[in-house]
Amino acid sequence: MRRQVPLILCFVFGVVMMLTQFSPHSFSQGVYEEVLSWALIISPFMLVLGTVTLVQTHVARIRRRSEHWQYSFIIFAGILLMVVIGIPFGPQHPIFVWLFNNVQVPMDATMFSLLAFFIASAAYRAFRARTFEASLLLITALIVMMGNVPIGDLFWNTVLSGLPWDNAVSDTKQWILDNPNLSARRGIILGVSLGAISQSIRILLGIERSYLGGGD
Amino acid sequence: MRKTTQWIIVGLVLCMSVGVAFSQGLSPPSNVTAVDTPNDDGSSVTIKWDAASEGSGISGYQILRRITGAGLEEIGGLLPAGATSYVDSTIEKGNAYAYIVRAVSDTEATVDSNETAPVKGSDEWFHTGRIPLFIAMLLFGAAVVWNIYDARSGKEIFVRRIPGLEAVDEAIGRATEMGRSILYVLGLGGVSGTATIASMTILGQVARRTADYETPLRVPCRDPIVMSVVREMVKASYLDEGRPDAYSEENIFYLTSGQFAYAAGVDGMMIREKPAAVFLQGTFYAESLILAETGNSIGAIQIAGTDSEHQLPFLITACDYTLIGEELYAASTYLSREPMLLGSLRGQDWGKVLIFATLVLGVVLELAGVNWITTLLQRVG
Repeated sequence: MRRQVPLILCFVFGVVMMLTQFSPHSFSQGVYEEVLSWALIISPFMLVLGTVTLVQTHVARIRRRSEHWQYSFIIFAGILLMVVIGIPFGPQHPIFVWLFNNVQVPMDATMFSLLAFFIASAAYRAFRARTFEASLLLITALIVMMGNVPIGDLFWNTVLSGLPWDNAVSDTKQWILDNPNLSARRGIILGVSLGAISQSIRILLGIERSYLGGGD
Repeated sequence: MRKTTQWIIVGLVLCMSVGVAFSQGLSPPSNVTAVDTPNDDGSSVTIKWDAASEGSGISGYQILRRITGAGLEEIGGLLPAGATSYVDSTIEKGNAYAYIVRAVSDTEATVDSNETAPVKGSDEWFHTGRIPLFIAMLLFGAAVVWNIYDARSGKEIFVRRIPGLEAVDEAIGRATEMGRSILYVLGLGGVSGTATIASMTILGQVARRTADYETPLRVPCRDPIVMSVVREMVKASYLDEGRPDAYSEENIFYLTSGQFAYAAGVDGMMIREKPAAVFLQGTFYAESLILAETGNSIGAIQIAGTDSEHQLPFLITACDYTLIGEELYAASTYLSREPMLLGSLRGQDWGKVLIFATLVLGVVLELAGVNWITTLLQRVG
């Protein structure tokens, strides 16, 4: 019974939501929007659940004196500070906005900027021309990189100016992106879409039910 | 004084004559029709008219609307000279509207078309433009369902080897031998994401093995709802394996909802705890390489899988094994080997064959100058 009710709900709502995609009638669109707005009701519960779990995790860390347990106090200080300012004064309060813009945004930007270094290290490994495939990847990457910067065409058009084909680097780059690259991407997207539909059918029919956890 | 007045009058008469002459040169928009826009919820009317000929002097169009029994009102501003249709999305259901299309010249002279017959917007129950899509969906759904129930008869279904999934046991075994934990990252998707559900089902299978080997399984979550579901799933896996004592709820926890804060948190766990195996399964965005490169730097065996095609190159570069696109959805089937789930994989392959056949046929027909498949696909799109 514990599983049957969610499975029935999943089937009914899944089929109804699917059918609304084929019916522009205001009734079916109303049903679609209504069900979507129900999903929003879950958000406040999510917030409470997240906060409680976060507090439980870090209280346990402090109690056990786990490695770097002192940092858990910073978590509590951060939560408390934002709650004390955010709840009574609202998210538009200058202090709240200042904290967001001067603490959270720079920290996010710091993490994001690490990506540049990780791309460099990953590219180094990927482009080591040890095999035929890696060499092909290296050559393709060089063309695409050179085609993306003005110096690529400048070099081609000035140093190799005797050749009849102007802007060959950016043209080649565009051909690579529009043909082999796009073909491969579309192949993956087709597979993903069919896989997602197939999985949705399995879920709707209750064949794939491991996501429901235990119990009968 | 009298002469001046006379000159002004003459000038005005001349101007008006020129204006009238020019306006008489403008021809009114022809074949103006107003119809209820098809395949909508009755909230719009489409007005169409013939394109003006070259040198007609028309610089734009105005649309005038009349609710039955009321005066004319202008809607939509000035449309460009090349316009031949306008969708009025500001109608109220139940009212009948008649329309006039007014041609405007460079000198702001105007000429009106005939008024159309009054028209009302009406709700449509079925989007006729989506019939091919609906049929394709029914066919594909039928193929999957037929194969699922056919698989119940016990027929053996061949599934090609997926190296990333073959390596799951290797990764868990390695972590067990090294006495280290396994880190399972579900990505940034919510519980409604198909990739997240696929990832959760793989986690269920991984949890069965970690329960057997008593290997710690750590799952930092970005979504509290996902965390709750995952706790239930992992607990069920441990119970099924007869090891409820080995299950620790604390190992599955909410980290943060912020994208890069989540990446920082998971990276921190990797650096501190040095898990022997890292699973990156689900939906990923820009943080994918940050996670995968950190995992690579600690020497963990990494098995990734995502349906985000933009992140695949990063994961393929930085991880030992990567489940590409649909392999992620096939993973739970592959690991569990349940006949009914295997049947759905075969149904999926039938869909791919159908699409491939359509593509080949379309290319051949296009080369032969027949473009009805292209037209059909464009209409569906």
